[in-house]
Amino acid sequence: MSGRVIVITSGKGGVGKTTASANLGVALAGTGASVALVDMDIGLRNLDILMGLENRVVYNLVDVVEERCKLRQALVKDKRHPNLSLLPAAQTRDKTAVTADQMRELCAELRKIFDFVLIDSPAGIETGFQNAVAGADEAVVVTTPEMSAVRDADRIIGLLEARKDEIEQYRLVVNRYRPNMVQTNDMMSVDDVLDILSVELLGIVPEDEEIIISTNKGEPVSGTDNIRSGLAFRNIARRLRGEEVPLMDFEALNQTWLNRLVKFFSPSQV
Amino acid sequence: MQVKTQVMSWFSKFRTSNARSTAKDRMRTMLTHDRLELPAGRLECMEEELMAVVSRYFELDKTTTKFDLQQYDRRASLIANFPLTRSKC
Repeated sequence: MSGRVIVITSGKGGVGKTTASANLGVALAGTGASVALVDMDIGLRNLDILMGLENRVVYNLVDVVEERCKLRQALVKDKRHPNLSLLPAAQTRDKTAVTADQMRELCAELRKIFDFVLIDSPAGIETGFQNAVAGADEAVVVTTPEMSAVRDADRIIGLLEARKDEIEQYRLVVNRYRPNMVQTNDMMSVDDVLDILSVELLGIVPEDEEIIISTNKGEPVSGTDNIRSGLAFRNIARRLRGEEVPLMDFEALNQTWLNRLVKFFSPSQV
Repeated sequence: MQVKTQVMSWFSKFRTSNARSTAKDRMRTMLTHDRLELPAGRLECMEEELMAVVSRYFELDKTTTKFDLQQYDRRASLIANFPLTRSKC
């Protein structure tokens, strides 16, 4: 068996890489696939918190690489999602604790066991990022519709392009989308962002307070029904599996009687 | 909350300032420069030099020249348009 190794990256910090990793992990596991979530943010471990697994971490990625334990010993099985495991980052080391070659080896091991290996990349474009993409064959670039996030996403896309022989495909996730602000022309739309970056879209995740609640609970939203952002992540997971899933209709979500009335009377906007 | 947004959305159609298109325009220029690693002022410098060369051979209509970078599919191209009035030779 040979699974797919997908790196979740962004350049800028705080746009939702770790949230996306946790949610896509849970959503992919929900489709029946076996999934390994790898936290590559060595020194700034967070993925375990989002997964609610922080109390079960014994060994970490650096322990595996330095052969203090077996790979299977370091993998934390998520009891709520039986085919989902987490390989935590070391908290007391830094990005230089592993090399790109060690990451390639580790990914090769993981893809023998799992259908999907999701690598949660640290922010930045230095060693941490270089190591995170080293063993990957696909990338998911996360951005928000803000100028600084889009600029950093563009830089990341440039670096992924330079690794064309290893990274076969990269696609964009627009996170924290606020359709109301787009409607009032106060914020860039998904189409604006795609137009600027010239990149394939994988999905859109709306801004959602439920994400904060779910992080506090340690249970990613994609594992819960009736949450918009959770559905968005489940759709992305299905697209990763090759299914054709239409994009969420944010316009329709905002359709109220007043909206329709306004639309009826106002001249159409270009 | 919803109603407020709807009403604001309606009024925004009469507003002239548009943060969305400003952001998009700024992004475009910024990324073109980023991708080419082009320092500020370099393009203007080249425009002056090119104009100087062209005006040795032709009389130029300097009011309508166009000198710009355009992006297509992550690739930049230089679009220069120097309207000529007549030859100088």
